[in-house]
Amino acid sequence: MVNKIIAAVQSVIFNRRFLIGVIILLLLMPSLFYAAEWCKELESTTSPLQQSFCEYLIEERPVNGAVLLSFTQMFILIILASNWNLTGGFSGYIDFGHAVFFGLGAFGTALLMGSSRWEEWPAFLSGWNFWTAMAGGGVVAAVFAILIGAATLRLKGPYFSIAMLGTLVAMREFVRVNSNISGGGLGLSLPVILNRPFFFYVSLIMMVLVVSLIRWLRTTEFGATLIAIREDEVGAEMRGINTTLHKITAFTIAAALTGMVGGMWAYQNTFIDVNIAFNQNRTIDMVMMTMLGGIGTVAGPVIGSAVIYWLRDVVWANFLLYHQIFEGILLIIIVLFVPEGIMGIFKKEDSGTSLFGVIRGWGRKSARQGSPQGSPTE
Amino acid sequence: MDFSELLIQTLINGILIGGLYAVMMLGFSVIWGVMGVINLAHGDFLMVGAYMTWVLNKQYGWEPFLALLLVMPAMYLLGWLTQKILINRIIERPHLVALLVTYGLGIAMANTVKLIYTADPRITTTRFSGFWQYGEIVLPITKTLVLVAALIIMVGLFLLLRNTNLGKSIRAAAQNKEAARMVGIEIDRVYAITFGICLALTGAAGMMLSPLGSITPYMGAAWTLKAFAITAMAGLGNIPGALLGGMLLGLVENLLATFVPTVGSHIGITSSFALLVIVLVARPQGLFGGLRAPQEIR
Repeated sequence: MVNKIIAAVQSVIFNRRFLIGVIILLLLMPSLFYAAEWCKELESTTSPLQQSFCEYLIEERPVNGAVLLSFTQMFILIILASNWNLTGGFSGYIDFGHAVFFGLGAFGTALLMGSSRWEEWPAFLSGWNFWTAMAGGGVVAAVFAILIGAATLRLKGPYFSIAMLGTLVAMREFVRVNSNISGGGLGLSLPVILNRPFFFYVSLIMMVLVVSLIRWLRTTEFGATLIAIREDEVGAEMRGINTTLHKITAFTIAAALTGMVGGMWAYQNTFIDVNIAFNQNRTIDMVMMTMLGGIGTVAGPVIGSAVIYWLRDVVWANFLLYHQIFEGILLIIIVLFVPEGIMGIFKKEDSGTSLFGVIRGWGRKSARQGSPQGSPTE
Repeated sequence: MDFSELLIQTLINGILIGGLYAVMMLGFSVIWGVMGVINLAHGDFLMVGAYMTWVLNKQYGWEPFLALLLVMPAMYLLGWLTQKILINRIIERPHLVALLVTYGLGIAMANTVKLIYTADPRITTTRFSGFWQYGEIVLPITKTLVLVAALIIMVGLFLLLRNTNLGKSIRAAAQNKEAARMVGIEIDRVYAITFGICLALTGAAGMMLSPLGSITPYMGAAWTLKAFAITAMAGLGNIPGALLGGMLLGLVENLLATFVPTVGSHIGITSSFALLVIVLVARPQGLFGGLRAPQEIR
């Protein structure tokens, strides 16, 4: 019975037509926002139908700025989690410092858009428009990823994780002390823009592109190589694969996309400083959302981010002080009991690690051999 | 103060802080060496120890160094419980599981402390403040006492590991778990006690830290990083190496703070990170050897 329901849900959710329909609905969503604006300016209505529609839109505001902002935040989280999954899930290198690329992208974009507080900041590196500045932020993050990845990606397993955690902490301090770049305690202010639908569209399109890109990468030889590195790095090397090159490439792609999202977020936020741009909670979000959805799968980060974001918005907004404690505990629970995440439900064979594995016991005795991504170092 | 005196002063400060670093990292490296668990919540346990001291100091007027008598047993109990409830279930799993679980544990602890005591920076006040002065060179009394306490604790740990039956069991469990089990060592019990002892050390380090610098709920990550950097230099569970590595990091940080103008005091954490990556990339077996190759970690 349960299996049939799962199969039915699966056939709906992973149907291409369903996904395209969802995307089209999301694309149409801001039209209600615009319609409400249009109704406000309308002086006299021509038909009773139009009048009742306009009254509904103005009084209820089904799609107001806050709703669009919520969705934008969710899309951003989905992109971040998907990017994290590219290194963490596919190549098995758990990155506890991925937020560093977000921060670098945010600062890169802000500086390129001309918000530097430093008089000697070169003129040709400021006053760029949003699109080129966002791309610039991505380039900054990518260059940093190549440099840092060349060193840290040679480290295995936990060494890499800690080195990246160190990268985040060290980079945050480095940017903080260079106050002519970071603006010191004042932070940086970007050109103010209050256009919710614009960011909604940018983040939605970016999300669709990023998830499609990762889905495509997964099917290519490159994606297969990453999986091979995750499963058996020494073996992959013996087959003649240049593992370091592949790891750095994946890492750089993830970093560049994360940097661009950071840039977009900075523009939307109109203000950044070191503490919010290099916030460690962002790494926690990425890790937790990917783990909940299912690490190493394309759809996992999307599902996990959507679930956690709405949980946070709807449920945990009422327990603001406690929600980070909950999230830490939730991460432990996910890792211990449902290491395959929500996507584990949709696996054909019952490996004992699906969501229903929760009731089966308190971790240790159920003898799960290996986590879903295997053991990166064995 | 001329250059040579400034240099001597800097070296003294680095060596004095090295004792704290050594005790701080021993908890981390012994847990890693014995159980193969990399405890990302290490810095947060340190923070808990520091806050315990702060509460005893501010609300009950205890002398921080005296608070060790209560902080260490309390942290031992916390470690014993954590091991029994959580860590015991993840030891057999891939190392990734341990990383993620301890990461989540750290987040939960840091935010719990933040909820109770807010995010304001705190500091304890000790009666043993002031300094001894020799010419231009000063020797802060608090830091000297911290080094002495650290040395006493390290000697205690050294003797415990070397001479007692418990220490032998711990070392046996670290070397070969199955063989240790075969000769009748209760591995679960030894692990729980080891975790407790390590957290007691960490709590002691938290106490030593509390009068020296401000403590905040979110300082954990930086300290985990420092512990990892020193472990990379010293190797796992190597007590003399820990002292040497701790002093090396202390020296590097203090030299940077003194001789790099204006920004030096802020980039201490950057230096420990740079040290870590350089050591790991150049010598994956650790600076003095004794770091387990990643392949051997479960």
